Amino acid sequence: MRKLLVVDDEHDICDFVKNFFGERGFQVFTALNGDEALALVKKEKPEIVLLDIKMNGMDGIATLKHLKAIDRNIKVIMVTAMEDQDKMNEACRLGACEYITKPLILDHLEQTVEKILK
Amino acid sequence: MSTDNKTPSWDKLHHWFVEKVSSHHDAVPEHGGEAPKVINGFGRPIPPEKLNYQSFLEKASRTMIRFKKPEHLIKMIVRTIDERLGVTHTAVLLYKEDKQSYVLIDSKGAEGLKIPVGYIRLDLTNPLIQIFSEKNNYLISETGTVSYVDIVTGLRNREILEKQPDLYDSLLAIKKQMDLLKASFCVPCYFKRDLLGILILGEKMSGEDFTREEMGFFVTLANDAAMAIANAQLIENLQQKIEEIKDLYMREHRIFIHTAIALAAAIDARDPYTHGHTERVTNYCLAIAKELDGVPEMGRYKNFRETLQIAALLHDVGKIGIPDYILNKSSKLTPEEFEEVKKHSIIGATILNPIKELGDVVREVRAHQECYDGSGYPDGLKGSDIPLIARIIAVADAFDAMTSNRPYRRKKEIEEALQELKRVSGTQFDPVIVSAFLLAFEKGNIIVNGKKDRYLYNGNNGNHE
Repeated sequence: MRKLLVVDDEHDICDFVKNFFGERGFQVFTALNGDEALALVKKEKPEIVLLDIKMNGMDGIATLKHLKAIDRNIKVIMVTAMEDQDKMNEACRLGACEYITKPLILDHLEQTVEKILK
Repeated sequence: MSTDNKTPSWDKLHHWFVEKVSSHHDAVPEHGGEAPKVINGFGRPIPPEKLNYQSFLEKASRTMIRFKKPEHLIKMIVRTIDERLGVTHTAVLLYKEDKQSYVLIDSKGAEGLKIPVGYIRLDLTNPLIQIFSEKNNYLISETGTVSYVDIVTGLRNREILEKQPDLYDSLLAIKKQMDLLKASFCVPCYFKRDLLGILILGEKMSGEDFTREEMGFFVTLANDAAMAIANAQLIENLQQKIEEIKDLYMREHRIFIHTAIALAAAIDARDPYTHGHTERVTNYCLAIAKELDGVPEMGRYKNFRETLQIAALLHDVGKIGIPDYILNKSSKLTPEEFEEVKKHSIIGATILNPIKELGDVVREVRAHQECYDGSGYPDGLKGSDIPLIARIIAVADAFDAMTSNRPYRRKKEIEEALQELKRVSGTQFDPVIVSAFLLAFEKGNIIVNGKKDRYLYNGNNGNHE
């Protein structure tokens, strides 16, 4: 089963994404912060991560750095509320595959995940 | 609804919908009696309702008027549906101009089904948006809604679909969107012809289908909400526009006033003996005006206070046309030179005349040296023929002249100047204005020597103000 990790400090988003991708044949793990995300990556080794940029504590960019240090091949999609080109460029440099802006189009989210996993 | 009768499949599809809807109609009894056994489109009986929709709707539409922000109204609707109808989840998408899409504004429901607020949007090419955008799309049921069960039933109707592969694609696209949103029911909110938003409903917790009454309830609620939302948006837009116009006006007004101040300062600067004169005269004028409440002539000005302020600032603008040697002369002026000085009110009016926006200011500037008894210049106007603002400026101007040093005479003591004003009240000045000035003085609103005089008395004496 394909493993997906969603990292977002909003409970509702974690739940929703878990349900959404759960129904699409994924085993979904949720993390409400960077630390939880790193622990899950070590333990569960997900193939793909949906990573919110703006989080309390360790932000998405810092989390991304650590994720890549644990697993160089892990695929990461950054999710952001505001298009911040500097942050995007940095995320790209650190090896994020793609970014999605909120509010997002569900089709697009699904397609992006599928495309990256192919 | 297509009107192309040559295509039998359209008719069949039409028939399929009509039949379904009419079965609802048949199920509604004409008179009370037994609780209506509503049959949904697929023949399953639906239990009677517990919720009194009519009274709810009445209450809802009364409440809606009170919401100034559409978001608050939507939250109320979503909460009510969630609390009272027992659906797995409810969500509302509202059109956002800046995002060019329908954004999820509010959602409630079971864990995982509740769509996080602001997380998703549907763009304008989304099949759901597309079918609702054309109100008469054949996939919309007679109640104006789209129901998942209908779509699925349509997809199973091989007979129609074989002849209409396009229809299959449309149905499939809609089904996919409803799957994504886990919607069993979509209700559009229209205002006039515009699709303002969509109400998304999950399934009923009981697993039953929505009754016809419920569908009607949602549609009415959505339409009422659309009206309220449209009104709220209209008011919001209007308020925004008003603010913008206010800002613009204030900015222009500030530029205007500051230009007048700059011009006045330029004139004051040219005449070293009247330093600060314009500023003081303007302040005196405004102080006098405060004591003039109820003078009917004030009502003849579009904006009395503003006209007064600008006229006071610009009253000496004509001095720009007076030669330096006269303005800077430290001894008494000759009669010829005095004639020259007297031209400044006409010159001022001529300079300002092309500025249409100044309106009344021009004649006030022209008349600020007129005397109440008709002995002034340039036109020898008398009494109330002299415009009110000019009469005010005249008093303020004279008081400042008397209480300031001039190269050719020493300034008067304040008390002495006040006595002089009283003495010529009714001859040189309008007694009403003099009284107002004295009242303002008593109240401490006439601030003399707010700025220190820079130019000291140099021993000459004269009187040619």
